[in-house]
Amino acid sequence: MKHILSFSTVALALLLSCTGGEQRSDGQATLDWWQFWTDPAIKPTIEQMVADFESQNPNITVNITDLTWANGHEKIVMAFSSNTAPDIVELGSDWIPEFSSAGKLANLTADLLADTSQFYAWTPAVYDSALYAMPWILGTRVMFINKNLVKRAGYDDNYIPLNWSQLKELCYKIDSLGKDIYGFGANAAEKHRLYKKFLPFFWSNKAKIMSEDGSFSTFASDRAYAALKYYKELCDSTSMVDTQRRLEDAFLDGKVGVIISGDWLLKRIHNENPDIDIVTTLIPGPKYPGPSFVGGEYLAVSEQSKQKAAALKFIRYVTSPENQLRFCKANFSANPSSKEAAKDSFFVETPHFQTFVKQLALSRIPEIDEHWVYIEDIIENALEKALYQNAPPAQTLYEAKLEIEKLYAE
Amino acid sequence: MVKLLKYAALTIILAVMVFPLLWMFRVSLMPPTGGLSLGAFFTPIFTLGIYYDIFTSGNMLRYFFNSALIGVIVTAGNILFCFMVGYALSRYRFIGRSFWFYSLVFVLMIPAHIIIIPLYMTIHHLGLYDTYGALILPFLVNPIGVFLVKQYIDSLPSAVEEAARMDGAGELRILIGIVMPLCKPALAVLAIQVFLTNWNSFLFPFILTSSEAVRTLPVGLALYQGHQAIDWPHLMAGSSLAVIPVLLIFLFFQQHIVSGITAGAIKQ
Amino acid sequence: MTTRKFTGLLFASPWIASFLLFWLFPLLYSLVLGFTDYRLMAPDYQWVGLDNFTALFSDQAFLSSLFHTFIFVLGTIPVTTVVALALALLVERQFPGRTVFRSGFFMPSITSMIVIALVFTNLYSRGGYIYLLAEMLGLTPPENGFLLSNSTALISIMAMDVWMSVGYYMLLFLAGLKSIPMELYEAAEVAGAGTWRKFRSITIPLLKPVALFILVINTIKSFQVFVEIFVMTKGKYGTSTAVYFIYETGLNRFEFGYASAAAYVLFIIIAIFSLAQFRLFRQRSVW
Repeated sequence: MKHILSFSTVALALLLSCTGGEQRSDGQATLDWWQFWTDPAIKPTIEQMVADFESQNPNITVNITDLTWANGHEKIVMAFSSNTAPDIVELGSDWIPEFSSAGKLANLTADLLADTSQFYAWTPAVYDSALYAMPWILGTRVMFINKNLVKRAGYDDNYIPLNWSQLKELCYKIDSLGKDIYGFGANAAEKHRLYKKFLPFFWSNKAKIMSEDGSFSTFASDRAYAALKYYKELCDSTSMVDTQRRLEDAFLDGKVGVIISGDWLLKRIHNENPDIDIVTTLIPGPKYPGPSFVGGEYLAVSEQSKQKAAALKFIRYVTSPENQLRFCKANFSANPSSKEAAKDSFFVETPHFQTFVKQLALSRIPEIDEHWVYIEDIIENALEKALYQNAPPAQTLYEAKLEIEKLYAE
Repeated sequence: MVKLLKYAALTIILAVMVFPLLWMFRVSLMPPTGGLSLGAFFTPIFTLGIYYDIFTSGNMLRYFFNSALIGVIVTAGNILFCFMVGYALSRYRFIGRSFWFYSLVFVLMIPAHIIIIPLYMTIHHLGLYDTYGALILPFLVNPIGVFLVKQYIDSLPSAVEEAARMDGAGELRILIGIVMPLCKPALAVLAIQVFLTNWNSFLFPFILTSSEAVRTLPVGLALYQGHQAIDWPHLMAGSSLAVIPVLLIFLFFQQHIVSGITAGAIKQ
Repeated sequence: MTTRKFTGLLFASPWIASFLLFWLFPLLYSLVLGFTDYRLMAPDYQWVGLDNFTALFSDQAFLSSLFHTFIFVLGTIPVTTVVALALALLVERQFPGRTVFRSGFFMPSITSMIVIALVFTNLYSRGGYIYLLAEMLGLTPPENGFLLSNSTALISIMAMDVWMSVGYYMLLFLAGLKSIPMELYEAAEVAGAGTWRKFRSITIPLLKPVALFILVINTIKSFQVFVEIFVMTKGKYGTSTAVYFIYETGLNRFEFGYASAAAYVLFIIIAIFSLAQFRLFRQRSVW
């Protein structure tokens, strides 16, 4: 049976390799690019960038395929696992290791190494000391505060909480304003989101998931416990618990005092409720400022692409400072990966963007490896239990620590 | 009085059934800047701007056309093929009959997410990837449709066919001339069901195609669900529009469920 | 007789061709993978015999997903079937406005599940209309909305599912009702049978083939409930179902061999249920 299967797989693979795009002898190359930016605000810019690239490089054609945010990951997985992946693919930061560790992405170390000082957030692109992707558009999270509610809670107009106890006090006072007013917007047990909201608190208390040498998990340390205990108190006493989207809806409605969110919320404010009076600030830790979480979009070349040189050329073009700036202006994005682009006056002049630029410099990405998909799950389940199912935090953290260690023991 | 009660009951049920859809339609009439605050449902602010936008910008019309084209072809194919296969399974004894019957049900019982990778490979292998063919050929014989027709024909007495066969009518004539008209209600349901399934199918079109030229409506609509925010007005407007063709198909075919079998046709 | 056999095969050929060309390979492929430790994108894999299957039965995540699936199936199917039949009987006979009611009842089935699930996510959340309605009726809905609570999330999704599918099954019942010859009712009336008697001894027995179809299809569909879970809760709050487990394991964790094994366990469960329904109906119709 196994032979039948491998035979048919091999036969299919052979046939597929015959039909795949080949480097033609006349130097013409056709690149397939899978990407996620389909919003009417940004799609024309993407298309224009491709058109400009094609006119500068008459021997290269780029075909765009749009992916949806909800299901794009599945399509990428299927393509890579059946060896039909496109030449260039946009990957979210937490997806890169899945493909780089399986040898599905082209090793770009030789080409990109010289650039590393020019761009932020290389961590997810690294696997086994090699580079497999190019950072493109990043997104960190900052703290949004409704100034009107701050004032109503008896604070000075420009008050900003500078440490954990001030944050909790502010949220508590806002929460006491009335039935439909909430202090802090806390994420429900929402997959892929909850841990991103907790990790800034975890990190700012200097807690870590793994020990320095990676031999054991420190997820149940005193510092981790203190962070979880604080976060739980914040959620329990002052917050509205809902999904990120609905927390943002409520914030836009002026019902939530403090929320942690990304630059997309600025865009929503701009489009849906430009009159709301807000201030953005770096997320406070026990001291000010604390670190935040950063994720983002990366561009990678598939290992089986026969046009790696052309693909790399295109990636460099799209991620060049000028084109990142073009992208950010069209999409209202605050965190280009290019350090040079981030210096542009656009990020100074646009209200609140400087908060994002500053926060990015303090932001972190968890050390993602091929176990990450399991670790994320373990962390989120632990948070769900401790925050919303009344499990004792210390015990939950300890159980999670054991589970994480079991992963590495296998 | 009884009649009045019946109407009251029906109206309450109707309200429950259509309220969420009215909500969908109401959101589609919101101005894009209005957000989605719930109180807005009853505010008298309406705009058709989103509909205008859908028709003039982007490729929604193209996606509509693709979905309609694929839907009509697949539905027509299914009416014919499901009827043939269902009739064969119900009335004939042929080699492997139960195997083929169980194979229908078998295909239905394995989750799509498990078989879609090998199907994707097959589609690539046949050179159908990113073509209409990928969205039409595998779906021309819908197992549910065959099962439906088979069950329906099972419930019809076979006396009429036997009589016709005695009179020397050919198999094809019996199939088309005698059994088909009797199956009108089932075929009407089948047509509605197949068109509907196809019209709303997301996973297969999304995985099996990539270019805008062959993109279908559900895939186009899914693009309105952004990374961090949903474009509610556009999504709801597109979805409201998407209801219309299926509703028309329903209204057209449900007459056949009404008229159905004339009383004398199947005297035993 | 041989020509008739041949004709049967000929009439069945569209399915045979479709099955061989498109579906046989995927089915075999996943079946074989169920006995391996294949991970998506891994270069090689081992034959592991029944290991996947034994592991599944001690996998808490799988077992609880099966449990939720059973709740979903056993909770929705009887309700859907009875309500659908009731609706069909209500709108079967001619009366003014019948088409309006029929279309209205069918409307929820028309819209795509993805969109419906998004709409209900709003209606079920705190401050959403269903939430407000529950408050108005004097109930105390869960603080964070129906979908963010372990005690109400699954049942809310089930209610939505019933709402969405009754129209479709009503349509099937209508088609079934139309296949019942009017003469039978007339004859029964002549014999002095009342409405209930006619319903019990004519309508119910003669609806059996359609009812069987409805039950089997609904069973197969409900055991594979996925889209609503994927859109509304991502398996959190006690809503992880078998197919959601398979999706998560196969396509997010890449344990495709294990996921295939889970798919075949689910397959066997669905097959047993469907077969039981076939049996049940065959026996009853003998009585």
